Amino acid sequence: MSAPLVEAALAPHGEGRAGEEPATPPPGRRWRFWRRILFRLVGAVIVLWAAATFTFFVQTLLPGSRATLLLNEQTGQQKQYTAAQLAPINHEYGFDKAVIVQYFDYIGGLAHGNFGTSYEQHQPVLTIIARQVGPTFALTLTALVFAWVIALALTLFTTRRNRLLSGLGSGLEIVTAGLPYYWLGVLLLVVFAIDLQIFPVVGGTGVTGLILPALTLGIPLAGFLGQVTRDEFEKVLEQPFVTSARARGMGDLQVRLRHVLRHAVLPAITLSGWALGALISGAVIVETVFARPGIGNVIVTAAQSRDVPLVSGVVILVAAVYVVANVLVDLAYALIDPRLRAG
Amino acid sequence: MLSRTPRVALILSIVAVAATLSACGGSSTGTSSSGATAAPTSNTGGTPQQGGTINYAHNLEVPCLQGGWVEEAYIERQYTDSLVSQVSSGHIVPWLATSWSISPSQTTYTFHLKPGVFFSDGTPLNAQAVADNFYYWTNPKTANGDVDAYLGPYFKSAKAINNLTVQLNLKAPYSPLLSSLSQGYDGILSPKGLARGVNANCDDPIGSGPFIIQTWNHGQNIVFVRNPKYNSAPANALHQGPPYVSKLIWSFIADPTTRWASLTSGQSDVIEDVPTVDWSQAKSAYNVQEYVTPGRPQTLSLNTDLGPFTNQDVRQAFAYAANRQAATESAFNGEIPFDGNGALSPSTPDFDAALENSYPYDPAKAGQLLNAAGYTGHDAAGYRTKDGQELDIKLVYGLGSIVNDEGATLLQDLQQQWKAAGFNVTLVPATLTQLFGGAYAAPTAADATIGYWTSPTPAVLYITYQYWNTPGDPNFSNSTFYDNAQLVKTIAAANSSLNPATQKALYTKAQQIIVNAAAAVGVYTKTTTLAWTKSLHDVWIEDSQGEPVFSDAYFTK
Amino acid sequence: MSAISQHPSGLAPVSTLAVPTWVRRLRPGVILATLVIAFFVLAVIVPSLLATNNPLSINLSATLQAPSWSHIFGTDASGRDLYSRVIYGARQSLLIGLGATGIAVGIAIVLGFASGLAGGIVDGVINRFVEVLFAFPVLLLALLFVAVFGPSAKTEIIAVGLGTAPGYTRMIRGQVLAVKDSGYVESARALGHSYRRIVRRHIFPNAMRPLVVIVTLGVGQSIVWASGLAFLGLGVPPPAPEWGALLDAGRDFVTQASWLEIMPGVAIVVFALSLTTVGRYIQQRLEGGITR
Repeated sequence: MSAPLVEAALAPHGEGRAGEEPATPPPGRRWRFWRRILFRLVGAVIVLWAAATFTFFVQTLLPGSRATLLLNEQTGQQKQYTAAQLAPINHEYGFDKAVIVQYFDYIGGLAHGNFGTSYEQHQPVLTIIARQVGPTFALTLTALVFAWVIALALTLFTTRRNRLLSGLGSGLEIVTAGLPYYWLGVLLLVVFAIDLQIFPVVGGTGVTGLILPALTLGIPLAGFLGQVTRDEFEKVLEQPFVTSARARGMGDLQVRLRHVLRHAVLPAITLSGWALGALISGAVIVETVFARPGIGNVIVTAAQSRDVPLVSGVVILVAAVYVVANVLVDLAYALIDPRLRAG
Repeated sequence: MLSRTPRVALILSIVAVAATLSACGGSSTGTSSSGATAAPTSNTGGTPQQGGTINYAHNLEVPCLQGGWVEEAYIERQYTDSLVSQVSSGHIVPWLATSWSISPSQTTYTFHLKPGVFFSDGTPLNAQAVADNFYYWTNPKTANGDVDAYLGPYFKSAKAINNLTVQLNLKAPYSPLLSSLSQGYDGILSPKGLARGVNANCDDPIGSGPFIIQTWNHGQNIVFVRNPKYNSAPANALHQGPPYVSKLIWSFIADPTTRWASLTSGQSDVIEDVPTVDWSQAKSAYNVQEYVTPGRPQTLSLNTDLGPFTNQDVRQAFAYAANRQAATESAFNGEIPFDGNGALSPSTPDFDAALENSYPYDPAKAGQLLNAAGYTGHDAAGYRTKDGQELDIKLVYGLGSIVNDEGATLLQDLQQQWKAAGFNVTLVPATLTQLFGGAYAAPTAADATIGYWTSPTPAVLYITYQYWNTPGDPNFSNSTFYDNAQLVKTIAAANSSLNPATQKALYTKAQQIIVNAAAAVGVYTKTTTLAWTKSLHDVWIEDSQGEPVFSDAYFTK
Repeated sequence: MSAISQHPSGLAPVSTLAVPTWVRRLRPGVILATLVIAFFVLAVIVPSLLATNNPLSINLSATLQAPSWSHIFGTDASGRDLYSRVIYGARQSLLIGLGATGIAVGIAIVLGFASGLAGGIVDGVINRFVEVLFAFPVLLLALLFVAVFGPSAKTEIIAVGLGTAPGYTRMIRGQVLAVKDSGYVESARALGHSYRRIVRRHIFPNAMRPLVVIVTLGVGQSIVWASGLAFLGLGVPPPAPEWGALLDAGRDFVTQASWLEIMPGVAIVVFALSLTTVGRYIQQRLEGGITR
């Protein structure tokens, strides 16, 4: 990832310009800040609606007939049927209505909190998602924690030390940021679970089974967060107030921890909001590699088996997570940014 | 500072690679040992321990827990009982039916049922329940595709004579009946459970079997619990009464490396579809069993209705052009048997062994046949052409459902050999959804498909070669779309033959017709392989479909 | 955000050779990265020059062989030479990467300029649209596309392109906004230059400048995404030697023949790394940050 891409992510909602921080309210005018959050939420609802609509209509493009699929799955055959044979199922599921009518039925249901019933699993979509979302959240949050710990450690201890250490730290970040999840995951699985037998092969929902998948997701993210933080860290290290702190006799580590870190992590915090959404994509792959339960498997199976309500439900959920994460990031930013505090 | 960064990064990556290479670089060339078809054996040892959980890893997840797909029959075996059980071809023993009589015309079967058997929902398993099942299986609205395929053309009526006697009336003699009734698809389901509708019977079917379905965690596993009241084991079971273990967890682990590793790490007690590359290690460290499923093997069904394969010369050229035997042995490391007889698998009764070596690898002959068919030209890429038209073959295969990764390698190997002969074969992997969606069911969809039709009896030929072009009700099980009146009559006569010798001669003739026409070109057998830990005993594979049986299994210290 | 390196003594080194400046400023790492990129570009254009075997020809008597002099990366389960497959796979993977980035940047230019220049409602609508795309996980988008259009190189290109477009859109929009309010645009306006001329002469070139870097980095990213799809089995059908497909196939043999999984992964990582290195170098040169 590069600076411009990072800057783009730093302006998450389009306001502000490249190279500037997102507009922060002048000190004392907190209410304007909260109004912004409100607008953000309204925008969020629009985003969710648009995501649901997009998903619905993409799935109407899927080739083949859902009724045939359902009937064949019941009987265990691979055949084609006449329209008369399919009529009962088409009627039962509402496939015989016009697409636009089906769409409004669906959106209407959403507005009432009814996400529909999965075609494949015959259960309410919300139930299925609720069951599977836990392991994925555990995975992504743990991955985020790992990423932060590794990135912070690397940045704190290797920035601007001697040449070898800095180079090593920076190099490590660049390499890890470019590692494909699946490749890293397979290698970790083989080395640590199969060969060394430190971790279980099939993790399930236990804690030991969480470590390798979380590392797989966390390491590349650590590389990326580390790069961003390191760049910021170096910039801040040259600020006058740091020099004056050193002149006052503060130890190097203390300077780094107390003064520099707070500024340096700001871009990384903003990125974490984006990262949470991206981690879910990664979770799809990682859950496949490690045979873990979670939303990832649900997405893959549902998308492939044309389980329209379930796919739409997952899309809305992920969009909601992304939106909420960004709101939280804004809040965190406001809390941490010293300029806000100082005023 | 920046100069160091990329260099260090590159060195780091090389170091990491080198470290990983040294840690787990092992080369092993596949060992070849002959894959024998093993009859289920009991390997008792130690005293049976009550309780425990069997962790079983299967290679795929099914869309419904009962239905007409053999993968669903594997599961149905766990929670249902069938009327009879097959020990070996022709040898049928009692199960739910303690005895039966067949009328001289062979059109009426009277089954006497075991008393005191109940479904897990508490309702009694009596003659009426059995009759209800027969109607459920053959009713187009609720059908079990497999049962209906066997029974449908012959089924007239089923009636409960008294509480424990059920009478089955057929339209014509059908000697494969008992064999077909021994399969998992024919497990008797609770009529009260059936009344809940198709969705309920897809997710939570109710039977009388040794295990009861507790939960189906989609994408993960099915949890079965022991049926403590189980008293209806078949006569060939290794013990009577409820299972020793209290739980059976049937997990879905699609990735072969992970599945094998789950066995070696102890997380799984039993695995299925053992990667052939690990088979020799499995044999030395674990209990193993291999079962060659009867019926139609994994065969290339060539589209005789539309496209280049309407010409028999082209079909035969296709069969000669690739070395299917060598490719099978290579892709499966010698573990899965090659079957040159495209009609039936070697473990099927009345299998004609003389057809095993039909169409041996002969590129020269393939070339002659293609010339005879008019494909005398060659285009720039080296493929044969006829009147400027390239010889294009679209071969569809169900990857991850019908054909596993090793099978996919085999197809790629064959593709290269066909290419050398002038066929431009495009391999199209299909998902299970596409297959069940009927995308590749009609002749317009593909020139060739590969797939099996498992069956304990050669009567499967009736299913797979009944006229495709039946007005109003096309036979989608005829994946070659090969309509041959003589073939259909021969098979029908064989099915209803009352004389075993005549029957065998007729089935043999049917196989010869199919193979000579090269409608189906045999490649390898559908095989069930199991490997299980040595502390687990009395796991066995039943004979009709290769269903794994866990109701007799027990752990020892 | 560029790090300006400083010589420890604070002095710039004096060159004693009559070597052009830009050569002097090259780093050995960057040279290596450029060579790697050149190697792969050559693999795309003339793979037969670099490969040792036909990537598709099988050899059933030489399956799963460890790396050796005759097969640098070993062979796979069909006896195919892995090194040659990696070389030929470069073409597919690189073209998918370029195609996807091209689509993403194309969309981003249209949307970013429209949004940045027009402002107001157009800006708002486009922003919401970009948000929606952002909220969609790239992989889910790709899954849906593949389910609709079937797995192929074209589908991968479109899916990954659409998925990565939002980020570029935001970036270009930010650049456009920054340039729009900059000094020289203001003075151009004061001079009475036409709007179209301002856009053509000032805004467009300056907003596009970072794109060079973006494309180099984006190609690497797109390749990784596309091979992720192939890893899930949604990529180009076999026997195509696309890198992701090689990783997917190698997974089955990772304990028996680990080179099948390691080598294609190393190729992806090394290539993406080289692109990153060159991209960062170019970025720093453009920002005028290199003094040594």
